[in-house]
Amino acid sequence: MTSLDLALASPEELVAAARDGDVVLRDSGEGLDPLTTAVWLAGRTSGTKIGVSFEASSDAMREKTLDSLETLTGGRVVVDADPAAARALRRDGIDYDGVPVPALEPGDRSFRGRRSTYLRGGSPGLVLQPRTPSEVAAALEFARRHRHLPLGLRSGGHGISGRSTNDGGLVIDVSGMNTIEVLDPSARLVRVGPGATWKQVAVSLDKYDWALGSGDYGGVGVGGLATAGGIGLLSRAHGLTIDHLRAVELVLADGTPVRASATENPDLFWAMRGAGANFGVATAFEFEVDEVREVGWAKLVLVSADLEESLKQYGAVARNAPRDTTVFLVTGPPRQGQSVIQLYGMVDSDDPDVVISRLTPFASIGMLAQQQVVITRYADVMGEAADVGPEGQHGRGEPVARSAFVPVLTDAFARDAARLLRSGQVYYFQLRHMGGAITDVDPGEMAFSYRTPEMSVAAMGGDRQGLDSQFDRLAAHFDGLYLSFDTDLRPERVADAFPPPVLARLRSLKHRYDPTNLFRDNFNITPSTPFTPFATEENS
Amino acid sequence: MTDYGHDLLFGTFVTPAPGAVELAQTADRAGLDLVTFQDHPYQPAFYDTWTLLSYVAAQTSRIRVSGNVLNLPLRPPAPLARAAASLDILSGGRFELGIGAGGFQDAIAAMGGRKLTPAQSVDALAEGIAIIRDLWDTDTRSRVNHDGTYYNVVGAKRGPAPAHDIAVWVGAYKPKMLALTGALGDGWLPTMEYVPGGPAGLPDANARIDEAALSAGRDPAAVRRLMNFMRMDGPPSSWIDHFADLALNHGISAFIIGGDDHAMAEALAAEVAPAVRELVKRERGA
Repeated sequence: MTSLDLALASPEELVAAARDGDVVLRDSGEGLDPLTTAVWLAGRTSGTKIGVSFEASSDAMREKTLDSLETLTGGRVVVDADPAAARALRRDGIDYDGVPVPALEPGDRSFRGRRSTYLRGGSPGLVLQPRTPSEVAAALEFARRHRHLPLGLRSGGHGISGRSTNDGGLVIDVSGMNTIEVLDPSARLVRVGPGATWKQVAVSLDKYDWALGSGDYGGVGVGGLATAGGIGLLSRAHGLTIDHLRAVELVLADGTPVRASATENPDLFWAMRGAGANFGVATAFEFEVDEVREVGWAKLVLVSADLEESLKQYGAVARNAPRDTTVFLVTGPPRQGQSVIQLYGMVDSDDPDVVISRLTPFASIGMLAQQQVVITRYADVMGEAADVGPEGQHGRGEPVARSAFVPVLTDAFARDAARLLRSGQVYYFQLRHMGGAITDVDPGEMAFSYRTPEMSVAAMGGDRQGLDSQFDRLAAHFDGLYLSFDTDLRPERVADAFPPPVLARLRSLKHRYDPTNLFRDNFNITPSTPFTPFATEENS
Repeated sequence: MTDYGHDLLFGTFVTPAPGAVELAQTADRAGLDLVTFQDHPYQPAFYDTWTLLSYVAAQTSRIRVSGNVLNLPLRPPAPLARAAASLDILSGGRFELGIGAGGFQDAIAAMGGRKLTPAQSVDALAEGIAIIRDLWDTDTRSRVNHDGTYYNVVGAKRGPAPAHDIAVWVGAYKPKMLALTGALGDGWLPTMEYVPGGPAGLPDANARIDEAALSAGRDPAAVRRLMNFMRMDGPPSSWIDHFADLALNHGISAFIIGGDDHAMAEALAAEVAPAVRELVKRERGA
């Protein structure tokens, strides 16, 4: 570590020293500006850390600068923490002296990488980081003492709905609980911590020629997805992620550790598969995974002057595709009348002829502009996701996204979806191809109930009211939604996520397992009043 | 017919958000003259523009960088002068100072800045520019003192001295700001979409700047006229005649294009810039 005086060192000396190793910049108020110099040196070197202190025109500008330093330089500009300034960043109403588990508070250097999620900027007052079920119980005891604050649960922090961060509240971050182990090779039974990412899971299973479908991106965490659904690239061939769940261990709101499976607490097992965020903090999942060898993996880019027609054709092709084939569609607003359509999908076959024959009909829904088709490992597809290092997720602002299930991709849906895209309120529009093995499971088997839609649609926009007003116009085409892709906080969305009998059962289970409604910040199912069958008689 | 005879500059107006560094590198590789970034610190999706400028300067080799324009109320003049001179030294003279009075007063106040009326913010900018120029001027050894309404500087040491004469380019639209630009600026840096009347408003704005420059005893040609275009429609080859017209008839000598598009930046450098330069050279020679 070399200490450099900004009043004396020349630019050449500074760069030379920084290329040799870590440096600390000393500022006496003369010569080069410390912050500018530190950022410059970070930009001119690759591994070097640069220590510096700087003054900003306000606390808010200082925070802004620190945030940009973290993202632009990957945390290589290390700013001296001022203990008084760090304490000043604490939020009201949190017992910072009584924190029972490892945790990060706003003044901590590592906090910056844990405050936000993939798409949502956040500033929680405390991020609790339990490493064991008993630490989860302690974190929940702390949360019960802070009921006046928002409470987020976070595994990978990738959720589109953004519920795993908040402003001024608590976050229970289970990213440290990320072990993956094989329990029984003959039964292909594996045990996975909630903090692992699907990329890590895929790598661990790959050596056995196994895979477990998740979504479409390896950077997503296990916990959030495995308590919601998991509509992904292998779903039509092998079912949803939660269809593979054989047992889940969790800590309830009152701190009790429980195990749920078909034979142990079966009601809770039913609820955890689709509505898990309302019932507890999952600490381990046991999955029966699939034998998956090499797969066909395709990315196609098509151009279309008639989006409505292309969507209709996509629907027809998708409907007739064999269940080994899952192809998703993404597009944005048409530009000068032209839509760019990205198709990406997986064929669960290592035979190139089969892969090509499956994909060819999809390639004709527009004018093919680019194509990439490979035979590869599922783990390599998940491996395309970037690793999230200590710099963490750096979403900004509030994501605006809506989700819905489309029972049938009708011509009228294609027409209205094309109009939605022309409205300019949607910059990202995705159709996830469902059907196939998803429909093999009885809708009553778990809280996730929408087994028969052809498509799951997700739309992201920049303006909440603008997106809602356009998206709501398509309501007649929809039945249900996937809660992880929806940021709409209007209460009727909960009724969209769960059909009435399912919601009623969830509310009664909520009363049993979380009667005080501690877990309330992600599609909250409010506990129902207990059913008292003899009340009428007593009153009579 | 107005033409101040400056060499022509071409550049990009890049959103200060993820992807900005790569867009700046593309502009640099393509051979553009300028890469510039707006400065709205209260916009949560944006990087801190000063941090970004410093990083981009380090990650590029030839292109000049500038705020477009920096927000003076949130970047007080004395520290800004030191930071600007430092970046100019470190980058080998590749920094220019695009600066403005700050438009969104409530948002500025929310970031800890002072809330001023539009008229006050113009006066504050005039004070700020004077302080910045004084601190850069190391030809004299005397300490810098400014007893202003908005900024006080007491006994500040000068320096560091920039590596080159950093141009002060002012974002201005209304009469008071145009007058300030003519009196104190090295350049005028508006956005075409916001110029009252669009291209038809240019003669009036230019005249106001010229008049203020003359009243201050300066040559109007000392004030370069730059122009941002948030969005240009059609293929870049279709912009050539328009830009040449703006150069020859409205004195515009820098064309800075938004849109965050790598291919556009490459086409701007490879097709548009040489063709506009050729047309303008031919006309000026005639």
